[in-house]
Amino acid sequence: MAKAFKYGLKGITGFLEPAERELLRSLIDDVISMLQPEERANQDPLAAMIGLDMDVQEPTDRAVRRLLPNVMKNDDGASLEFRQLTERSLRETKIGALRAAALDLDKDDIVLTAEGARHWSMALNDVRLVLAERLDIRDEEDAEHVHLMQDWSQAEDVESYLALVYNFATWLQESLVQAMLQSLDTRA
Amino acid sequence: MTLSVALGPDTQEGTRTGTEASTDSLTAPDIPWNLVIWNDPVNLMSYVSYVFQSYFGYTESKANKLMMEVHKKGRSIVAHGSKEQVERHAVAMHGFGLWATVEKATGGPGGNSGKQGGSGQGKGKRG
Repeated sequence: MAKAFKYGLKGITGFLEPAERELLRSLIDDVISMLQPEERANQDPLAAMIGLDMDVQEPTDRAVRRLLPNVMKNDDGASLEFRQLTERSLRETKIGALRAAALDLDKDDIVLTAEGARHWSMALNDVRLVLAERLDIRDEEDAEHVHLMQDWSQAEDVESYLALVYNFATWLQESLVQAMLQSLDTRA
Repeated sequence: MTLSVALGPDTQEGTRTGTEASTDSLTAPDIPWNLVIWNDPVNLMSYVSYVFQSYFGYTESKANKLMMEVHKKGRSIVAHGSKEQVERHAVAMHGFGLWATVEKATGGPGGNSGKQGGSGQGKGKRG
């Protein structure tokens, strides 16, 4: 069984079983592959290098759209323009956090610096956002419904399995954020 | 624009005071913009508060108050500034996975004057 993250002398520490690490790693890899910008043959390499992507479109996949939302509520044109300037960098920021978390999964005990913890919290959040889209969590009621799935012996189809995985990621993120908040208190 | 630096809380201060307005002649410098955070049923309340504290440097009580406003009212204006400033914040919020948008401030400073939108969104967060 995983142990909740806690804040102490060594920083923020946690422990995950090998199977849990494997699960998290595959979830993280899935999100990374969703965020990987597609390479286009005629792409301007200089523009790509400085983070511009003039051919970018609003993502069609709901989950990707939630990870990379429009910056304006009622102005698709301005949002798209903003996307051209920022989306590639945002994808890279997210992939960076996800990769950093995946690297920490190589060890049995997880010991995180403040920076590492921030990467982990971002990575877990993105994993949960993607799972929530797959589970069709649209409101609090849906979330409550999913939350009821706590017993692994109930896992009999893909949806119930995903719900259990989501709840595990939620529990893990909550324990991590509590430890991070504690570390903020201590520093203040 | 190097957007990855937008994640560091300490990079914000310098830009607030400096030479911001001169870079974009299309935007009048004195039109205030709002950064809006929207509620969703996935983000943890603790995480949202952590982001407000660590990124904006808000106190715990201010961060929690804003977080509860997002939770109960469906949205909250969490920062003001020039268009460039709130856009930078928005990218940072998206980096954290929060659902953020920018909008022109329509009322007085600090006023809860935003458009009523997104009412179809869920009200709760997992806690």
